[in-house]
Amino acid sequence: MTTEEQKQEPELLLYQYPRTAHYWHALGYQSAVIEGFKQGRILANKCPKCGRAMVPARTVCPECYVEATEWVDQGQRGKLVAAFKLGYPFYDRRTGEAKIWDKPIVAVELEGGARLDGWCSETDLEKLKPGLLLEAVWRPPEERIGAFDDILHWKPVEE
Amino acid sequence: MAERIAITGVGQTHHKSKRTDVNTPELVTEAVEAALEDAQLTMKDIDFVVLTSFEMADGQYLPDLWVVPEFGGVGKPGFKIQNAGTSGGVAAGAAFSYAASGMFKNVLCVSWQKMDEGKGAFGRGGGGLSEYWQSQIPFSPITNFARRAFAYIHNSGCTEEHFGITRVKQDQCAMKNPYAQLKLGLTLEKVMESAVLVWPIRFLHMCPSTCGAGVFIVSPEKQAKKVTKKPVWVEDWFCVHVGGAFTMAEDPTLSTLRYGCQTVYKRCGITNPLKDIQAFEIYEPASPAELRWMEEVGVCEDWTAWKLMEEGKVGIDKEIPFNPSGGVTATNPIGATPVIRIIEAALQIRGDAGEHQVPHTVNRALATGYGGQGENVIILLRKSY
Repeated sequence: MTTEEQKQEPELLLYQYPRTAHYWHALGYQSAVIEGFKQGRILANKCPKCGRAMVPARTVCPECYVEATEWVDQGQRGKLVAAFKLGYPFYDRRTGEAKIWDKPIVAVELEGGARLDGWCSETDLEKLKPGLLLEAVWRPPEERIGAFDDILHWKPVEE
Repeated sequence: MAERIAITGVGQTHHKSKRTDVNTPELVTEAVEAALEDAQLTMKDIDFVVLTSFEMADGQYLPDLWVVPEFGGVGKPGFKIQNAGTSGGVAAGAAFSYAASGMFKNVLCVSWQKMDEGKGAFGRGGGGLSEYWQSQIPFSPITNFARRAFAYIHNSGCTEEHFGITRVKQDQCAMKNPYAQLKLGLTLEKVMESAVLVWPIRFLHMCPSTCGAGVFIVSPEKQAKKVTKKPVWVEDWFCVHVGGAFTMAEDPTLSTLRYGCQTVYKRCGITNPLKDIQAFEIYEPASPAELRWMEEVGVCEDWTAWKLMEEGKVGIDKEIPFNPSGGVTATNPIGATPVIRIIEAALQIRGDAGEHQVPHTVNRALATGYGGQGENVIILLRKSY
């Protein structure tokens, strides 16, 4: 409870520290997916009951709750499920700095059924429609770190 | 439920983007005092306290340590729950359960968010589920609703203008709510001219950052009848989380709202939601979400809500009384938002909502909390048994 006597002139203090964030991530079952990225492959594990392919991998299917031990290469192509594009500077979570992101972000349903997010080389938003066939464009092998942005972007397949 | 329970008092702050005149405990205490006054109780009468805020959006860790002493809750049994956007919903559920146990007379549910102090932490945190899976691409609630808006346009055949029409309707409702934050007097042109945040979401489609608190008191039947002549009965509540929402690539139409509502409807004998429920306060953090949520709550067929919005059938005194308070697009103190939905639904049942009161008798009202990429809490309130 704040009484009238206690009320003070509002004061706002800004605290800003140059911090470096360290994060050690135990990947567990997802380690195979990371190794796959380094090799230019997208690996998912598949539920034996409903057939759901999972990236990130999980030891069990979240819907059926059965172990999913079969690994399936998801291929290099997929269909666009959703797309959006940032219209303002947004934080790069790796640096903490706000920056302009030029490329749209797409959700891709891979040939194997799993879904993955990524950047899209097509910047004409009118052309981004559900079902658009996309293909992964990878970083050179020596630059890959085992992350899903080892895929530089997804580009529309010219048919 | 073990015992019938009822909400006996409600209180909320006047929500604003900045409250530099108060710190977090002072902000929270405004709502606590309002709820106690509404129930004509004092803190001495409270025998259990449930707290909630979404700490990442506060930018503070364990804010309860200095919030509780401010409103006089020291020494009372209780705990804090945090669950992102559904924080207020799960805290409410916990408060309902403790009241229904019959072990406590007056359970206080306290929720808040003060986003003018820690919003940088929220932005940097993004979706925050996994540093590995979510550090490469900028995720946020806005990008979540952008992909949902993209899916809605392509599935329903509506245009971006329909998101604008929805935003104008939300604003018209908020203009009548004294507690709402954004009261902008919007026109469709103004919405369509606003900057694109994350295509296809525009600045005016998205909820604001908010400082605000919401509090209610819930009691078992015998006590509730002693406290108030207008108890608002909690008929049912249900919390459901989605199995697969780990990255943004999940199905952009995925939501647990339909499943949660259908479960509650079945348990409560509701066969026609629009007939059996007379007011809806549904957690829609963006204009396009309101359209999809109308369909998932069951007031219209899939992919048709935009037509009803275009025909002007949605609003305080319209065929579909959806979010008469103006909803979350006008006001979103995240951790408190589901509790504010409950408060607004309760006010509608009591007939105390003032200028945004729906004109007909509200025997049942539905409130929800939404979080993450598809989690929902569903709360059904009723006027009498």
